[in-house]
Amino acid sequence: GLRFASTTASLKTETEVDTSENEVVAPNFTNRNPRNLEQMALARKERGWKTTWPKREFWHRLRLERTQHYVEAFVERSNGDVVVSASTREWAIKRHLYSPKGVAACKNLGRVMAQRCLEAGINFVNFKAVIPWEHRCDSIQEFEKAMEEGGVVLHEPRRIYR
Amino acid sequence: MAAPLLSAALRGARGGRSFGTAAVLWRRAAPLGPMPNEDVDVGKLEVLERCRSFARYLRLARRESRQPRWWNTYHKHTSAPPAEPERDIGLPPERLSWAKEKKERKRILRENHQNSEMERAARLRTVLIPLDDVRAEWERTSGPFHKQRVAKHFGVFRDLFRGATFTPWVALRVHYSQEDEYLVPVYHGNMVTPSEASSPPEVSYEADKGSLWTLLLTNPDGHLRDADSEYLHWLVTNIPGSDLKAGKEMCHYLPPFPAMGTGYHRFIFLLFKQRGPIDFSQDARPTPCYSLKMRTFSTFDFYRKHEDAMTPAGLAFFQCQWDSSVTSTFHQLLNMREPVFEFVRPPVYHPPQVKFPRHQPLRYLDRYRDTQEPTYGIY
Repeated sequence: GLRFASTTASLKTETEVDTSENEVVAPNFTNRNPRNLEQMALARKERGWKTTWPKREFWHRLRLERTQHYVEAFVERSNGDVVVSASTREWAIKRHLYSPKGVAACKNLGRVMAQRCLEAGINFVNFKAVIPWEHRCDSIQEFEKAMEEGGVVLHEPRRIYR
Repeated sequence: MAAPLLSAALRGARGGRSFGTAAVLWRRAAPLGPMPNEDVDVGKLEVLERCRSFARYLRLARRESRQPRWWNTYHKHTSAPPAEPERDIGLPPERLSWAKEKKERKRILRENHQNSEMERAARLRTVLIPLDDVRAEWERTSGPFHKQRVAKHFGVFRDLFRGATFTPWVALRVHYSQEDEYLVPVYHGNMVTPSEASSPPEVSYEADKGSLWTLLLTNPDGHLRDADSEYLHWLVTNIPGSDLKAGKEMCHYLPPFPAMGTGYHRFIFLLFKQRGPIDFSQDARPTPCYSLKMRTFSTFDFYRKHEDAMTPAGLAFFQCQWDSSVTSTFHQLLNMREPVFEFVRPPVYHPPQVKFPRHQPLRYLDRYRDTQEPTYGIY
C-alpha cells in the first residue's frame, strides 16, 4: 500500500517499484484449472454416443453398482477416470452397517457419498446411467433421496453455447 | 443378387447423399492379435454360460470395454499414453501389522451380526451411520489415496510438480473462521469465497514433538503475466510440531484475488515434512510484500532446491471465484487497477479448403473468406 513519503530515499523507491510493476498485465489469460470450464458450463460434453446406452454427454456421472455382496458408488468423468468413490467394502462404512448390501446400506452410502462429493467440489452430477426398470427399486430411490438431501444436484446444467 | 442391391443403392442416392463404391485393397495380412470371440465355441452354444439378466451383461460389457485392445480404439485416440512412470516424491507408507487389525475387524463384524438391534434397524431401514466417525476413520485408512486421486483430477501434480505424485499421509485440517463463530473448512476442492478467505486460516495436523514442518499456499492459476508460474500467498517455515505461531513466516498471508471473468482458481495448501532445520533465507520476502513480481513463484523450483531436506506430506486445496472483496484487494493492497477478463471462444474448425468442393452450398466460400460478406440471407 501507499505510505506517507518518508525522509529516506530508499524506502520511497521500494514502494514505487512495487506499484508500477503490478500494473503490467498480459492481455491473454490462461486458467490451467481443468475443472474451470465445466464449472462455468463452457466445457464440451461428448455428444456423439446417441445410438448407444449409456450416453457420455456429461461432465461427471454418478454410477451405483450393486453386487451380491456389497454396494459401490462412483463419480467418474466421460473418459472413465474415477474422481470420488464410496463403497461398503471400506472399513470406515462397513463397521457401522449390519449388512453391506440392501436398502439401508444404499441409503447410508448415499449420505457418505454426498458428503465426499461436496468436499471434492462436485455439486452437479449426472445420474442417468441407471437401468430404467431398476430405477424404481427401493434401494436406488433411497440412494437418490439421500444424495439430494446431502446437497448434490442430480442433473447437470446445460452447456452455454453462445 | 447384385441387381436389387444396386437398385437399392441408386434409390438411396436419389433421396440423400450417395455413397462411394470405390474401395482400395491394400494388402492381406494376419491380424496383429486374437480376434474377438475367438475363444467362443460356436458349435456348442447350449453349453455356453449366459448372463440371463441385463445388469450382469452390462457389468461384463463395461469390464470388456475397458480392456486394452490391439486395434485402434476411441480410448487410445483420446487419451495420451503416459510418457514415463509417475515418480513418487512423498513419504513412505507406514508398515502396520495387518494380522492384529484383521482380527479386530472380524471381531467387530461378528458382534454386529449378533446384535439384534442392528438387525432390526437394518430390516426397518432406520439405520443412520454417524458421518463424523465414518469421516475420521476414512481419513485414517483410505483418505490419503482418495485425496491423491482427486488432486490428480484437479491437475495439482501436473501443474505444481510436473507429474510427480505423492500420497498425502498427514491429514491437513484447514478452516477459515468468520465473525460469528462460523467456520469455512477447506477440503480437497470445495468452494470458498475471497471474502471468507481474507484472513489467515487455522491449520492443524498431527505432528510428533520435535519434528519440523513447512506450510505453503500457492495459486497456480491466477498469474496475470505468465501462465506457467504461480503466486505465493503464504509461506511459514521451520514449524515445530503443529504450532504455526512458533514457525518463521517467510511470506505473510495475502488474501486470494482471482480476477473477474477468469473463473475458478485453485488455491493449494502444501505441508512439507522437514528432516532438520533448513535455511530459507533465499525465499524470504519483505514483510509487507504486495509486489506481484516478488510473489511470482514456482513450486517445482522451490521443491527442487530443498528436495533433500523435505518431503511433501499433506495437501488441501479449495476453489475460489471473483467476489467484491477482490476489487478492494486490488485497489488497496496491490495498488493497481483491477483487470477484467472475458471468455474468448476458440475459432470454429473448418477442414482445409478444396478447389472443387463436393456437395457443399455456396456459403462454403464464406467460411474461408477473411472479410464478413455473407452469400446467404442477403435478400
